[in-house]
Amino acid sequence: MRRSGSAEVRAASATQRTAAGARSGIGRLVPRLPILGDLRLGRRLGWVIAVLIVLVAAIVGYNARAIDQQRGSALVVYTAARQRAFVERYTTDVLLVVDGFQADPEESAEDVREPVDVLLDGGSVRSPRGDGSRVEIPPARDWRVRRKLEQDRRLIDELIRTGDRLLDGGRDDPDHKANVTKLRVLSAQLSSVSNDAVREITQQTEASLSRLVRIGIALGLLSALAALALGLLLRRAGAEQAAQFRSLVNNSSDLITVLAPDGTIAYQSPSVQRVLGRRAADLLGTALGDLVHPDDRHDVSIALTKLVEAPGATANIGCRLQHKDGSWRHVESICTNLADDPRVNGLVLNIRDVTEQAALRKSIGDLLHNLARRSQGLVDRQLELIDELERNEVDPDRLDELFRMDHLATRMRRNVENLIVLSGVDQRRRWSESVPLRDVAEAAVAEVEDYSRVRVAGIHDLTLAGQAASDVAHLLAELVENATSFSSPTTWVEVSGGPTANGYVLEIEDHGIGMSDAELAEANRRLAAPLAADIADEARMMGFHVVGRLAARHGIRVQLRHGWFGGITALVLLPAVLLGSTGEQPAKAPPVPAGVMASSEALLLANTTKSGWQPRAHLPLRRHAAPGPSRGGEPDATAGAGEPAD
Amino acid sequence: MAWTRARRRWAWALALVLAALALAVPLTLARRHEPATIGTPVNVLLDDFRVRHDASVVPAGTVSFRVLNQGPTTHEVIVVRTDRDSDKLPLQRDGLTVDEEGPGVELLDEVEGLNIDDRETLVLDLAAGDYVLYCNLEGHYLGGMHEALRVR
Repeated sequence: MRRSGSAEVRAASATQRTAAGARSGIGRLVPRLPILGDLRLGRRLGWVIAVLIVLVAAIVGYNARAIDQQRGSALVVYTAARQRAFVERYTTDVLLVVDGFQADPEESAEDVREPVDVLLDGGSVRSPRGDGSRVEIPPARDWRVRRKLEQDRRLIDELIRTGDRLLDGGRDDPDHKANVTKLRVLSAQLSSVSNDAVREITQQTEASLSRLVRIGIALGLLSALAALALGLLLRRAGAEQAAQFRSLVNNSSDLITVLAPDGTIAYQSPSVQRVLGRRAADLLGTALGDLVHPDDRHDVSIALTKLVEAPGATANIGCRLQHKDGSWRHVESICTNLADDPRVNGLVLNIRDVTEQAALRKSIGDLLHNLARRSQGLVDRQLELIDELERNEVDPDRLDELFRMDHLATRMRRNVENLIVLSGVDQRRRWSESVPLRDVAEAAVAEVEDYSRVRVAGIHDLTLAGQAASDVAHLLAELVENATSFSSPTTWVEVSGGPTANGYVLEIEDHGIGMSDAELAEANRRLAAPLAADIADEARMMGFHVVGRLAARHGIRVQLRHGWFGGITALVLLPAVLLGSTGEQPAKAPPVPAGVMASSEALLLANTTKSGWQPRAHLPLRRHAAPGPSRGGEPDATAGAGEPAD
Repeated sequence: MAWTRARRRWAWALALVLAALALAVPLTLARRHEPATIGTPVNVLLDDFRVRHDASVVPAGTVSFRVLNQGPTTHEVIVVRTDRDSDKLPLQRDGLTVDEEGPGVELLDEVEGLNIDDRETLVLDLAAGDYVLYCNLEGHYLGGMHEALRVR
């Protein structure tokens, strides 16, 4: 199944690459538009958008040019009209002066010249606003206008020359009358030429504006066509993508379900017909809980409730859903809270049918369990035999060898039990009465080969619920075994405990080489989610998975941390519901007489007799002194009170 | 018939070309009206501020005045029958323009609003007599824009 999944992922990646490759040419140049969301822009769509952008830019540019031209034309007309008025004033001034009246024809002459010079060559003139400011006028470009203005300038020169002659000659000049007539004729001609120039400029402007309007209309029409094409293409692209998405959803083996805030199904993908034999339309508005197996409803309800309280969060939920024919399908669901997304407003469940995987897992588990049970029976018989031999043996050397055999068989039995745990079959032995927590810890230590390096101290006089005692002892044994295996033989492994707000924590601390942060995180992940691991991983890190599964059975939390002085500290948090109190104060680890018995062994034997609880049917009887941690046979210098004697 | 991608591309290109032509033709095509000459042709040139023609005497009958304004100012041509000299036409009260309905002057026809480089043909049936061609915009006649024509 994993290979098949990878193939799908590769196929999807290839499809995405193909889609990206198809978006070539101008399509690549057009940026992804936010308004389009995830809609892919095809090459044709890119071209249409580019054309539309160019057209809109052209319209804006033409409008700006038209406005500028209109403004410039108004100024030019205004200036030309002023020039006509100046000509009339100059003529009047000349005639007034000649007739003996007060006037200033020289100033008028300057005023007459300025507008035509500006209109021809460009420059600034006084603003029509009358605020004294000046505005720039560009030089005339049209050849007809220029020809008329040049004629205007020639006539002005002649007008001023004639005026000068009149002013110089006065009324006594014999040419006075002819000059006056010429002055008036020139003035009239100038008026005519100026009018002509203004008319020409106006006509040019109107023609230009008319052209601009026509082009603007044409551009507008083209833009409308482009926008229409864009709309059609977008609609088609959207429809194609919607069809693609619909096809994916319809043909997917997964279910996509959207749960409304009230827990009812707001959307159900059609693939539910294939998975659960039900029509999607029939499920709309119904509660998802109605489909969930009664044994799973509580867990599903809790998981969904937690998810509802965390917008944007994702959770994995496994459960069984009922097929229309009444059978139950095992499913795994990835649930995402998208209540904050107004387009979804609910929980999105991506549900995968894993019934076949579950059946396969169960058959493998059953196989493991059967094999383990057979081995367990053999090991139990072996232990009984060794126990019998130990009880009848008086030779210390042979007894020591039997003890070693006993320990090896005990480890074998624990390995077999690990397999039973991993098989998923719950066949643990249960005690109806509570047992002292310290007894459980001591029993766990007793199962470890290097038990003599383990110190149990400071565990309170609490009792542990009988149904959890065997599993907790097994769990602790695995952790202690791990601690002794990965620490130096010259160091101690400490087992201690202390109350917490919501239970009791047991600490197993070693002084070994420790773990890297990544290894620690991986180990904690496996401890927290033992059910998510596959069989290959379980074989590789079986101990952590066994601990995790045992802990999960009773709501126990197990976590590994870096120790204060190197090594690893395993924390086992026993929930308060598993604990009872004997009313006694925490007992200090009793000092053990040197050379007599290891503390754990002594306590084990004591507890066996006191409480009558014996978690393992055939724990080794360690009547001999344990060596304890040492360096080269020397006693550990760090050992203090309560340490096992050498 | 299924439309292949290449065919659709060509269709798009054709549509664009047609759209461009639809825009370009009205903007670029301009028709110039050139009526045929009837009768005796007389070429009349106008400029600032003169009237010239290439035939001072023409036979009676239909006469086509082919007027070309060389400008730069806009001008007009008025044809009157009169026995007066061309520079002795009666003026209006402003003293700047000819009184077209004044004594001794018979207005025959006119061409107005000739801009620079404009051409116009004026066709008249002229009886034998003296005629004057002039421009009657302000100051133009007095500036010298008149010319006599004799018809026999």
